[in-house]
Amino acid sequence: MALEVLKVGVVSCSGEAIPGGTVSRIACRKVLDERPGETVTICLPLFIAGGKEERDFAGKYPTITVDGCEKRCAQRSTERLSGKPSKSLLVPEILKKHGIDPPTSLRNLRPEEKAATQVVAEEIARAVDEILEG
Amino acid sequence: MSGKANKVVVLPCSGIGKVYGAIARETTYELMERVRPGVVVTICLPLLVIEDPDAKQLVTDNPVITIDGCPKSCAQKSVEAQGVKPARTYQAIGFYKAHKELKPGGIAELDENGRNLAALAADELAQIVDELAAGGQE
Amino acid sequence: MGEFLETTYDKFVFKVKVGFFYSKEDFWASVEGNVALIGVSDFLQKARGDVAFLETAETGTEVKQGQELGKIETIKATFGILSPVSGKVIEVNSDLESSSYLINEDPYGAGWIYRIALRNFDGDRGGLLSAESYFELMKEKIAEEMKKK
Repeated sequence: MALEVLKVGVVSCSGEAIPGGTVSRIACRKVLDERPGETVTICLPLFIAGGKEERDFAGKYPTITVDGCEKRCAQRSTERLSGKPSKSLLVPEILKKHGIDPPTSLRNLRPEEKAATQVVAEEIARAVDEILEG
Repeated sequence: MSGKANKVVVLPCSGIGKVYGAIARETTYELMERVRPGVVVTICLPLLVIEDPDAKQLVTDNPVITIDGCPKSCAQKSVEAQGVKPARTYQAIGFYKAHKELKPGGIAELDENGRNLAALAADELAQIVDELAAGGQE
Repeated sequence: MGEFLETTYDKFVFKVKVGFFYSKEDFWASVEGNVALIGVSDFLQKARGDVAFLETAETGTEVKQGQELGKIETIKATFGILSPVSGKVIEVNSDLESSSYLINEDPYGAGWIYRIALRNFDGDRGGLLSAESYFELMKEKIAEEMKKK
C-alpha cells in the first residue's frame, strides 16, 4: 500500500567547525520556517545521542540530509541509525553547481555568504517538493 | 592526562530545534574568535560519532568543555560515549537564568539579546578556559 | 491499558498519564486519600518550552480550584500555574529549584510541583477530566497548535 508522504524530515549537519556547517544550518532552518506544514527538523546531535522521537520519525518518514562538507556526518549518521535518506545534499556541491564561492565565515555571514545560504535553501526546498510529489 | 594543556576543546550541541542550541554555538564562537583565540578549538560533534580519528584524538588529548542546549545533553553524552569525561559541562539555559534581562530569540541566527548573552557567557567562561589550558583541575 | 495514553504528531509523542485527573487548562492532579500532587501535562510543557524560571507559592498557601499558584517562565511564555484542586499547599517540590528542567523531562513524575491537602475534592471533581477525556481534548489542542504553524 503506497503511503502518502505528508512530511519530510530535514537533517542538517551541525557543522560547528566549518563554514559549510553554518550554511547548512541556516539554509535548513529557513526551509523549516517557511514550510512548517511539510517539513520537520531532526536535531542531529539528539538523533545521534539516542533521541527516540528523532529516530522514530526518521525511520517512518522520508529524510533529506544536508551536509556542510565531504565527511557527510548527517548522511552517514542517518544511514547508520535509521536507514538511507531519500536525498543527500552536500553544500560544497550545490555551491559549485551554481558557481558560488564557498563561504569562509563561521558566523556573521557577509551578504554574498547569505546569498549562498539562500541558494542552498532553494535546493533543499526543491528536494522536499520532489519527495512530496512522489 | 597530566601537565600543561595548550588547547581547550569547547563542544556545543548546536541543536537546531531550540534557541539554546544557537546560544551554545555562538558562545563557542565567541570563545574561539574573540575571548581566547588560539586556545579554544572546536570540532563538529557528529565526527565523534562517525569515529573520525582526528576528532577522537582531539578530545582525548585535551580538556573538553561541553555546552548543551537542553537537558538531553547531547554534547556531553557524545563525548562520554568516547570514554572521555568532559572537564566541565554547561547548559545554555543556565546562561539565560543568570542573565534574565537578555532573553534570546532566533534559532538559525540569534537576535541581539542572544548574541549579547553568548558574549557574556564566553567572558564568564574565560577563567575556566585559562585554568584548564594551564593544566588545572579537571 | 498501559501507563500512558499516547499520540504522535510529526516527531513528537504526547503522553497522558492514566489514573490522573486533568483540568482543561492542562494541569494534572494525582490523588491519594486526602492529598494530591499537581503538575503540568506533557502537552503543556511541550507547547510552552523549556522551563527557565519558576515562581512558587509557599507552603501553607490556601488555593481554590483554578486559582493561580505561582508562575512558570519559559523562553516562549510566562504562564500561571493554575491549581486543578482546592486545598492547602503542604509541600513544594524542592528539586525544581536547581532542576526546573524536571518539569519538561518528567512532567508526571519527578516534575511534580505541589503537594496539596485537599479541601473539597468531591466538589472539585466536577471540574476535572479523566485521563481518557483529557486525551481527546489534548488531541484537539495539538491540532489547533499545528494549524497555527
